[in-house]
Amino acid sequence: MNDLIPLMVIVPIIAAILLNLFIKYNTTIKILSFLVAIVLPIIPILSNYGLHYFGGHAPLMDNGTLLNSLPSYISDGPLSTFHIGITYSFESLQKILIFFLFVVGFLCIFTTIGERKRTPGSYMFLMLMGLAAVTAMLLSDDIFHMYIFFEIAVVAQVGIILASTDNQRYEIAMKYMILGSIGGPILLTGIGFLLGLVGSVNITDIVYVVRNGLVNANSPVFLFSFGLIFFGWLYSVGLPPFHTIKSAVYSKAVPSGSALLQALSVVIFISLGIAIFRIYSSVPFIGVFIIFFSLCGMILSLTMAIMENDFKRMIGFLAVGELGYIGLGFGLGTKLSLTAALFQGLNEMIITATLFIGFGVVLYMTKTSDITKLGGLIEKNPKIAIIVLLGGFAMAGVPPLNGFQSKLMLVQSALSDNFPELAVIMILISIVTFMTFIKAFHSVYLKPKPKNLVIENSDVPRSSVLVMVVLIAICIVLGVVPTLVTDGFSGFVGGLI
Amino acid sequence: MDLYTMICDSIRGFKSNIRKDPITNQNVSSAMAAELTIVSTVLTAAIMLRHLNVVLTILIVLGLVLYLITGMPLISKFKREQSDSLNKMMFYMILTLGILVTSIYWGFKP
Repeated sequence: MNDLIPLMVIVPIIAAILLNLFIKYNTTIKILSFLVAIVLPIIPILSNYGLHYFGGHAPLMDNGTLLNSLPSYISDGPLSTFHIGITYSFESLQKILIFFLFVVGFLCIFTTIGERKRTPGSYMFLMLMGLAAVTAMLLSDDIFHMYIFFEIAVVAQVGIILASTDNQRYEIAMKYMILGSIGGPILLTGIGFLLGLVGSVNITDIVYVVRNGLVNANSPVFLFSFGLIFFGWLYSVGLPPFHTIKSAVYSKAVPSGSALLQALSVVIFISLGIAIFRIYSSVPFIGVFIIFFSLCGMILSLTMAIMENDFKRMIGFLAVGELGYIGLGFGLGTKLSLTAALFQGLNEMIITATLFIGFGVVLYMTKTSDITKLGGLIEKNPKIAIIVLLGGFAMAGVPPLNGFQSKLMLVQSALSDNFPELAVIMILISIVTFMTFIKAFHSVYLKPKPKNLVIENSDVPRSSVLVMVVLIAICIVLGVVPTLVTDGFSGFVGGLI
Repeated sequence: MDLYTMICDSIRGFKSNIRKDPITNQNVSSAMAAELTIVSTVLTAAIMLRHLNVVLTILIVLGLVLYLITGMPLISKFKREQSDSLNKMMFYMILTLGILVTSIYWGFKP
């Protein structure tokens, strides 16, 4: 047992509640948010790998004295292996992803503190609750527990959108909630079917029951639960038909909020995706379903991105499209592809945060995100332009940046799995991503400055510049030394398959 | 009308289909890039059906080629369908759920 594991969820929740108590004290909120944000990434580093049983409820199998005192139909049956309470599992995947999630969280909070004279405590509350919720999803081995925290994450996401100043924020938040009122309960219904069939919502228990033939994996109830949970997953991550609303959500939040929203979505994608992969690996054509929706997401989002003239919406579509790469890795289902998918997810968090915050600086300076009204900003901020350019290169998969390494791994996995078509599509989509980014970059930075463009804030907050430098440094380091994280991911995937 | 003329006409049609935005070379180039991306990726994805049946793949790819070229310009239709309209989002959501559950329930029924 490792007592530090639940602290990764408890600390941000307690901090969020405390921030709400000190809502009138601006300096206190700034100091407390900063301290908590800087402490959070340290917790996963200090934690050891292992399991944490809430309430000390270990499976009966681990307690010999108690097991011997029970009737034989319990002690000799599968019930003895079942997990009685909620279990948190902390392995190499969780360690790496939670560390980088908290780093991105810290940078987003730092940007917010730097950009705003008065830091709203309620906004910090939502950011920390979002971080806590997705961390719990990643740690939990209980699918119902994951669902609860998923709903908390959705509410936090809606709150983050509402905290922006965009005119359409209420409308988009409301639409997201309406769609969520269908997607969420459908996910819960699928979990309910699974509970009815297996008698447990612990993922390890469900996998044990299915693999040992105690439940018919071809039964309509099991397949139906797959359909419902899969649909809920599509909603939670923003794959079609939810890609439009997801990109709208990203574009309506403030840039640091958008960066965090994307990080939360990536972690939700991975945590629920792994749960689905573990439970339903026996379902025929599961890979086909995942590949189909991922491809649709990539193609539709990228084609919409290139048509956009609003750079916030454009990055929103690009971010959703990039999620498709993670899906392709899950769909192929090999050790290399899954490792590449997890690496791509991590890269996606960092790269998108760089771009959202980088273009956020443009929004801060000009108060517009319409690329037709922008231009010539490279004269004002050549350093920021170069960082944004590197971020775009990373997203498009230009060597030696991190996006290149993960996309190369995905292409290699598709080729080795006899799917050269997927490799071709991935390369095509990368080229279109590059084109889209260059279109935005040219319009914002390289095109002659329009006469009517007014620079309202010429002093860019140093915090934003520092955050971008840190993020791009991570991109370069992971691009040059990908084994820093891929070894950990590969070890986790080895245990998964 | 031969195939080449049909493609050229559809490209000219981009201009009228993106009329609500200021018409620039950039907009038209973007629309053309998006159009070509859709056509090339859909056709490439369709080739993956060879894992099921080669003859079926040939038929579907030929059908798609015909449909995609005669249906050009596609991107304006795609853009219209992917607006922020709640009605359209709900429609596609229900459609996806229906197809998904139906194909899983009947497709895998032993």
